[in-house]
Amino acid sequence: MSEAIEKTTLIGKSITKPDAPDKSNGRTRYINDMVLPRMLIGKIKRSDRAHAKVLSIDTSKAAAVPGIQAIVTADDTPMVGVGVTKDNPPLKKDIVLSMRDELVAVAGETEEAVDKALALIEIEYEDLPAIFDPAEALEEGAHQMHDDKPGNLSLGYQTVHGDIKQAEKDSDHVLDEVYDVHYVTHVCMGPGCVIADFDTHGKLTMYTQTQYPYNYKMDLAPSLGMHPGDIRVIQPPVGGAFGSKLDVYPFEPIAVFLAKKTRRPVKVIFSREEEFSASPTRQPARFHIRAGVKNDGTLTFRDVDALLNNGSHTSWGATTPFVMMRTFTGHFRVPDVEFRSRAAYTNMPYAGSFRGYGNVQATYVTATVMDKLAEAVNMDPISFRLMNAQKAGEITPQNSKLEECLLGECIETVAEKTNFLEQYNAFKAEQDSPGRYKKGIGIATSFHNAGGAKIHKSDGCGTVIMLDDYARATVITGASEIGQGIDAVLTQIVAEELGIPTENITLVNNDSAIGPWDVGVHASRTTFIAGNSAKRAARKARDQILDAAAQRSNVAADDLDLRGGSVVQNDNGVPVMKIDSLLRKMHFAGEDAELVITHDYYEPPSEPEGDNHVGDISAAYSHGAYVAEVTVDTWTGVVKLNKMTAVQDVGRVVNKLGIEGQMEGGIAFGIGYGLTEEMIIEGGEIKNPNFRDYKVMTAPEAPELEFHFIENDDPDGPFGAKGIAELPTIIPAPAIANAVYNAIGIRFNNPPLTPEKVARAIVDKQAAKVAAE
Amino acid sequence: MMIEYENYVAATSVAEATKTLAEGNATVVAGGTDLMVQTAASGRGANTTLLNIRRISDLRGVALDGGRVTIGALTTITDLLTDGVVADAASILADTANRFASNQIRNMATVGGNICNASPAGDMIIPLLVLDADVELSAWRDGAVTTRAVALNEFFTGPGKCVKTEDELLTSISFNRPAEGFVGQFGKTGPRPALEISMVSVGVGGIVDNGGLTNARVVYGAVAPTPIRAAKTEAALEGLSLNEASIQSVLDVADSEVNPISDVRASDWYRRHLVRVMTQEVLQNVANG
Repeated sequence: MSEAIEKTTLIGKSITKPDAPDKSNGRTRYINDMVLPRMLIGKIKRSDRAHAKVLSIDTSKAAAVPGIQAIVTADDTPMVGVGVTKDNPPLKKDIVLSMRDELVAVAGETEEAVDKALALIEIEYEDLPAIFDPAEALEEGAHQMHDDKPGNLSLGYQTVHGDIKQAEKDSDHVLDEVYDVHYVTHVCMGPGCVIADFDTHGKLTMYTQTQYPYNYKMDLAPSLGMHPGDIRVIQPPVGGAFGSKLDVYPFEPIAVFLAKKTRRPVKVIFSREEEFSASPTRQPARFHIRAGVKNDGTLTFRDVDALLNNGSHTSWGATTPFVMMRTFTGHFRVPDVEFRSRAAYTNMPYAGSFRGYGNVQATYVTATVMDKLAEAVNMDPISFRLMNAQKAGEITPQNSKLEECLLGECIETVAEKTNFLEQYNAFKAEQDSPGRYKKGIGIATSFHNAGGAKIHKSDGCGTVIMLDDYARATVITGASEIGQGIDAVLTQIVAEELGIPTENITLVNNDSAIGPWDVGVHASRTTFIAGNSAKRAARKARDQILDAAAQRSNVAADDLDLRGGSVVQNDNGVPVMKIDSLLRKMHFAGEDAELVITHDYYEPPSEPEGDNHVGDISAAYSHGAYVAEVTVDTWTGVVKLNKMTAVQDVGRVVNKLGIEGQMEGGIAFGIGYGLTEEMIIEGGEIKNPNFRDYKVMTAPEAPELEFHFIENDDPDGPFGAKGIAELPTIIPAPAIANAVYNAIGIRFNNPPLTPEKVARAIVDKQAAKVAAE
Repeated sequence: MMIEYENYVAATSVAEATKTLAEGNATVVAGGTDLMVQTAASGRGANTTLLNIRRISDLRGVALDGGRVTIGALTTITDLLTDGVVADAASILADTANRFASNQIRNMATVGGNICNASPAGDMIIPLLVLDADVELSAWRDGAVTTRAVALNEFFTGPGKCVKTEDELLTSISFNRPAEGFVGQFGKTGPRPALEISMVSVGVGGIVDNGGLTNARVVYGAVAPTPIRAAKTEAALEGLSLNEASIQSVLDVADSEVNPISDVRASDWYRRHLVRVMTQEVLQNVANG
């Protein structure tokens, strides 16, 4: 023990995600690759009608196909629904409500045999009137989809603050517009997959892609007629989730029905077409917004009506107004605000949770409305936003406490870094001059919960840390890894606390029989919540180690630190002893023997919503301001995104590489939402269920990206960090739309801004101009 | 839906391949970039034999002989991008190859496969029509390989359909080396610069003469059941001095000659609009040298 060990920090450094090398070189064994002994393949026969009575189902020919081991229909099941309002029985009986509705499931020895059997199932239907538009579904006399849902009304939300009527009278300008936002889907690279396996005691193991393993058991069990405690959830690596695995979907209990009937493991895996047609979508919506402003630029009110197409059944999509309303009421200082939403059952696909969760839709509206209001009062987009931006300590009408609000700093920074106003004015002046290519620049901002969201009874996460005789740490966390990078973040946090190298830490988070409870991967919460839990558990281990070191040295615990695998003197870094040797001494101390095993359950200091949806639901909030620079080809209508500059309030960067990757991936989603991605649905049927015609962004059109992280420690965050996973998906689309307006003077209230839509609008505008002359 | 082939033949010569085709019920695979996807999606190619022709080394490569350029059917799109003869004699092929799908697909996909797939939106077909190419079809008949040449312009009969009979194999494509002063331009569009099936594609070629084109060729993809030569547009263009007004008159003719449909990728309105603006772009490029 000689040389002093300097105090260094891992926080803010770039570390490689532990799963990255295997994913890059093809070693990762995804759930889709798994094969269990005697495993059967299960597949689902779905409705090919949008709305029909099922008169008969004949499976006799299918059953005769060699290799077929089981066929199940609704009659073989408890007929208990899954999904947010439990209105979705895994297999449907008598009536189908959408093209994706599950009618028959088949298990067989090979995929080929099951395909043959599916083709031989004969179903007789009697068509019923189908409704695809939510407004039509709410009309009096419209066909009722669910007996217990009068008027086809699914979920509704309302929050009311202040006096809209008075505020409208006090306004100098009132904007009144309708927006229609569209269907997109997650396009996970790993399509939907589950394996159900019973043991001889009747206990069930589910190998699943779920991103909420603990409540998953609770949600799944009733549909099976089982006790949640008899279900074990194993989470093999997944090829993306992004919110699409935050609910139980019919294919999961269906795999269980087949496994139960055959007494063999059954794997159900989606084709790419099913991944498009039978996975949840992002929630589409029609917004009617009225927003007011005074001539001096002060915002006066916002009044929003949202009509949601619920689709045939209910998953998380119908609850997205919960998040939408926070943005409508709380993004920028607006004294009087109202938000109302209704979700109406139709014979369309249904929406689930999807990264950004309602805020993608709400921000498309608010960020373009802010641009329009600025123009109405002859202010530039930056000054107008700055004068209405909240400052630290302000509280939104729904009681989001913006204690560390950095919205103004984000706007100022992005404006300065992009030379925004100079470019904006130059492009605006060029709008009507000749020339095929027009450039534009646009800004959008938003805010989102960054310290979890208390929508369940607990928003907590548990951690167990064990150190072995070699100072290797096993970190057992409730937080799932679905690609978002939590394994790296927790590794860094624990390594930081314990002064051991990151490679000496093993993360365990794939088995509900081992890991402590966590509410799931959603709401940008894992870094904040699981990070705090891991930090606190690590702190307990650290304290235990330092106490033991103090007992075995003549230095007080307070004067010791853990660095580079050693216990050192805090002031000068001089090593006192090696941590691993100390751990062995503690372990083999006879009657005083102790192991370092600590645990923690962290519940964030947030509150559930009360009446009128008021409540500080998150322990922290984050703001972002993004600027898009585009070139519009006015002939073809193609919008090229040249650059996206993102200024993001992050509290504190934990894993720099991780946060940059998360920003890049999120922005790619946002660009797709704004420019190219759209599910084309006609008569309830998805017409482009493939990568050829559903246009996700590819590498060549990835724009130049520039990130600026504003670091200002959040007092409640682990090492000051906030969760920002969703904002990069939320903000890009309206920034692009505002940039396109700057380029060509045309607004689009209906993303995506596809070449055809843009070209048509340009041609129409030119025609109108000619007509006017 | 998986297809269960009963036989797999990996031919190493045209004779072997055409013999296999003569036995019937064979699906040809070359690059596999279309077949693999079609098989998975629609069960296309539900024949009992899978005939791999990729090992017939004679069918790959570009040659210039006596003023005629011959491209083997197995020449990949990447080959066209890098081939010296193509660059020198028919750079429109390299320009098109540069817009074709993605690097990975270009490395596998073959010119012959792109033609035989007979998509109205097939990219390589457009410049080959501009170049007045012929295709060579080979078959095993009466104990020997026999060949016939078919003008590419007469090869296609509908979406996914062509005059090639079941026992024939497309073995090469050839065209006369364009004369001095030839220019050829290819254009396609879609929301993405790569991995994009053309909403509309356009090819224009001719000998630059006096600010216009002689021996003009105008070709459109994805505006009709097959890629088409636009004869009236060609006639309107022939010898026309290109300027803003005259280009507009050509566009009116082109508009009258195409008959696009509306589908999931684009409306007929947008396809017509693209025919105009893309033709305008190409003609302006010609006019501007």
